[in-house]
Amino acid sequence: MNLRRRATNPSGAAGPGTRRPLARLAGVALAVGTALATLAACSKVEPASPAQPPTLRRLTEQQYRNTIRDVFGPGIVVVGRFDPISREGGLLAVGAAAAAITPSGFERLGKIAESVAGQVVATQNRDYLLPCQPADATQADAACARRIFGDVGRLLYRRPLNDAELGRFVALGDKVTATLGDFHEGIAFGLAAMLQSPDFLFVADTTEPDPANPGKLRLTALSRASRLSFFLWNSAPDDALLAAAEKGELDTPEGLAKQTKRLLESPRLEDGVRALFADMLSLEMFDTLQKDAQIYPKFGLEVADDAREQLLRTIVGHLLVKNEDYRQLFTTRRTYVSGPLGMIYQVPVDDPNGWTEVELPKASPYQGLLTLPGFASLHSHAGRSSPTVRGRAVRELLMCQRVPDPPSNVDFAQFNHASQQKVSTARERLTIHNTEKTCASCHALVDPIGLALEQFDGASQFRTIENDTRIDTAGELDGVKFEDAAGLGEALSKSPAVTNCIVNRSLAYARGRAAGKGDNEVLAWLHERFAADGYRLRGLLESIATSDAFYAVAPPKAAPAPASRTAGLEAASNRETRS
Amino acid sequence: MNDEPTHDGSANELAHSRTPTPRNRMNFSARSTLLRPAGLALCGAAALLAGCGKSDGGQTLGFAVIGWRTAVYETPYMDECPEGLAQGNDELWWKSVPPEQRAKLTRDGTIEPVTGERRAMSVLRGENGADVCWHPTSVKDPPLRIVEGDTSYGVDLDGDATGQGTPMSCPHVNFKSPDGKPGIDNQLYRILGCTYGWRHHGYIEDNANGERRDTSHGIVLIEVSGVDDPVNDDNVQVAFYKKASGDTLPKDSKADILPHATYRTDETPRYGGKAKGRIVAGVLETDPIDVTLPFYGNLTHLPLVMKGMRMQLPVNKPERFTEGMIAGYQDLANFWDYIQRYEYLLVTGQFSCPGIYVAMQELADGYPDPATGKCTALSAAFNIRVVPAFIEHGAEPSGVVKPLQTQLASNTEVRR
Repeated sequence: MNLRRRATNPSGAAGPGTRRPLARLAGVALAVGTALATLAACSKVEPASPAQPPTLRRLTEQQYRNTIRDVFGPGIVVVGRFDPISREGGLLAVGAAAAAITPSGFERLGKIAESVAGQVVATQNRDYLLPCQPADATQADAACARRIFGDVGRLLYRRPLNDAELGRFVALGDKVTATLGDFHEGIAFGLAAMLQSPDFLFVADTTEPDPANPGKLRLTALSRASRLSFFLWNSAPDDALLAAAEKGELDTPEGLAKQTKRLLESPRLEDGVRALFADMLSLEMFDTLQKDAQIYPKFGLEVADDAREQLLRTIVGHLLVKNEDYRQLFTTRRTYVSGPLGMIYQVPVDDPNGWTEVELPKASPYQGLLTLPGFASLHSHAGRSSPTVRGRAVRELLMCQRVPDPPSNVDFAQFNHASQQKVSTARERLTIHNTEKTCASCHALVDPIGLALEQFDGASQFRTIENDTRIDTAGELDGVKFEDAAGLGEALSKSPAVTNCIVNRSLAYARGRAAGKGDNEVLAWLHERFAADGYRLRGLLESIATSDAFYAVAPPKAAPAPASRTAGLEAASNRETRS
Repeated sequence: MNDEPTHDGSANELAHSRTPTPRNRMNFSARSTLLRPAGLALCGAAALLAGCGKSDGGQTLGFAVIGWRTAVYETPYMDECPEGLAQGNDELWWKSVPPEQRAKLTRDGTIEPVTGERRAMSVLRGENGADVCWHPTSVKDPPLRIVEGDTSYGVDLDGDATGQGTPMSCPHVNFKSPDGKPGIDNQLYRILGCTYGWRHHGYIEDNANGERRDTSHGIVLIEVSGVDDPVNDDNVQVAFYKKASGDTLPKDSKADILPHATYRTDETPRYGGKAKGRIVAGVLETDPIDVTLPFYGNLTHLPLVMKGMRMQLPVNKPERFTEGMIAGYQDLANFWDYIQRYEYLLVTGQFSCPGIYVAMQELADGYPDPATGKCTALSAAFNIRVVPAFIEHGAEPSGVVKPLQTQLASNTEVRR
């Protein structure tokens, strides 16, 4: 690790030209290192990783919305609230594997289903959303109904419907049509039933005997398709992916690689990457984010919405549009600014009603992901910044490290009433607070990180002074010292914990379960490939999507290995019973 | 729709649609890179006081004018209006209504006259029911109660403290400023200063400011460039623009307008102008220019035609809002157009069209017509309230506008 500190001007920002020679050297070193690592990684075979029982994952709200959009088009509006999912192992995607649907949640899903179905068969939509029309709209038409339920059901259930299922939906539609005298009402009834079915609302792994490994199981091709699609698109498989699965193409490495490549090249990949980082960075916190309007009058709902969007745009722009090194996300000066965010940054924007892609000046204090309002304001209090909260967020979200909760008997009096002791800055308040021995050890882990961001107030507005005292932003990260937020970004970009973390989280997100000890080897292998590829996210996603570890499945622990699609359901049921 | 017309026609007549810029997700596979080569300049600490921008040839400061109010000097006991407040159309009409008609209109005094009827009746009291705002000479109202005090806000526009008149002004009675400076020209105040609607908390000004805030229409942008020192700089350039109609004024939870927003300029040639200026002890002062500024209020879009306009504006204050002053000569025809268009406010505004019409002819004090010698403009002063803002150029021109046609321009009946 390069511990040399770069030259700084009095404001703490890098002086012009001071970084170029070092950057050139670093670039050469990186190129050589990358080439060597590529050779090493290419020569390695994926290590074995422990297979886990099949999972049953509840669709997240975004997956539900994306699926409806992809199946029926963006004109179908999904209005309603969904049951929240608990975060487990740092990810909602892991929590989704243990999520149930409450009775009230199911009631809401019923209303959403009816609304969606009603829109699909609405007069203005039916001609292009339904594959056929009845000869007489007041009479049942079993052939047309069968075609509609067959086509739509395959996309919603992510598998072809069997004859019995199809027969039930057609019979239901016919019965409603006969009662109401309206074919499309019958179709709407059937569609609503599909949308409330566990086959749609839960993604269940289905297994079959693995011909290559007698006595063992493998995921069916259709389950592979679902895993792949929800991982890369955060949506259900499209027709082409299902067709590839139905033809057995996903059972071969070549076929799987071909479909993975297709998904990676699709614009829908943005949905997947957004979902991955929204989960990893806990962006659901924006749903309840509020700032004190007296202290931060600029930070209203628009700014909060745009801060979240900016964070994701920056990530997508850096990692997908430009296909840049993940580590540079912590040092990049390129971002996107909207009209509301322009007020926070105090910069002009080209289009006050849209987004402007910008490269901030070298001397700008806003450098890297941590200085974006989507991070700095999200991890702050309503009326002030918080070095501790920010530092903890860096450790836990970006470095996958666990910071213990504060003890229940901690005395905050010194901290909260610091004004009585004539202190001005957060650093001074924390210094007093840390005289409590029970607090000091954990604060030592997080405060030096968060203090580097103290020039951004609770709304991420830049400042150099707090209560008439100049803010000291010097700190250190695991032995690497820095002077300011830009230095912290540099330190993070060189921290192995950061790149290991994105690998760990991506695999956990893809599989819906947190990595265990047995996954260390495959994580190391993925990290090697990630490094060899210059820490490009696309490469990492491809490595995971085509890895054995992503699809490895073991028999459910509490039941004999059934060669049926209900295996996942049973496993989940058992798990819930145990918990 | 939040578009505003670019001339003085009705909103419906000229409303033009602008396709909103999508704020949706990125299409990463298809979008082009839009980085600006120079990147964005973050404001320095001093420049945070105002929206700051390009650094070529000094700093650029930007402001959006969010408050506009006729500068009316008021004393605690209204000494400036010894006859009391001016009588409005409504009051004058009511006095003329015979007792039997009053009884009918009020059902023998049990109700107030219905507002709609009352408004129409108060205006249609000219000869043969003529509208007295469109035919101000069709009735002879009592003389308007005008300001008789000797103190006013404003500027000595003609450089003549005697009031005898100069080549650019007609003889008039000057005011002195609240701090005793002589030669203050503000005949607009003399006309409107005793009329309820223009006084403190008067409906006309408060309502207009509220409507500008709520609609984002009629907003003036001020760009000060070439600023080497925001405290003292003897040479800066000042430009006035109309804000593009699609850009809204962002507000906080109390509906106060936020600073540091970006606004694009409406490049319609009619609006705006450029002036030389200087900053003295943190206050920007501009040289006189002839300019047309956008104006909206009381549901009326009306350009403000000013001659010899100059501005005083503190540019080095740390406060979120800054108060300044714009002074100059308002074109007489333009002023009358403004009064006429407020016809629907005649009751709540409490002013008399014929009274104002006669008074403005008598009190016009600027820009004498070379042919007739009659002055064609009124000295005026307006208090403005601004917030720091960023100003972006390059918005599409929103159309060619027609020349302003006014009642006064074609009215040859009335003489001073």
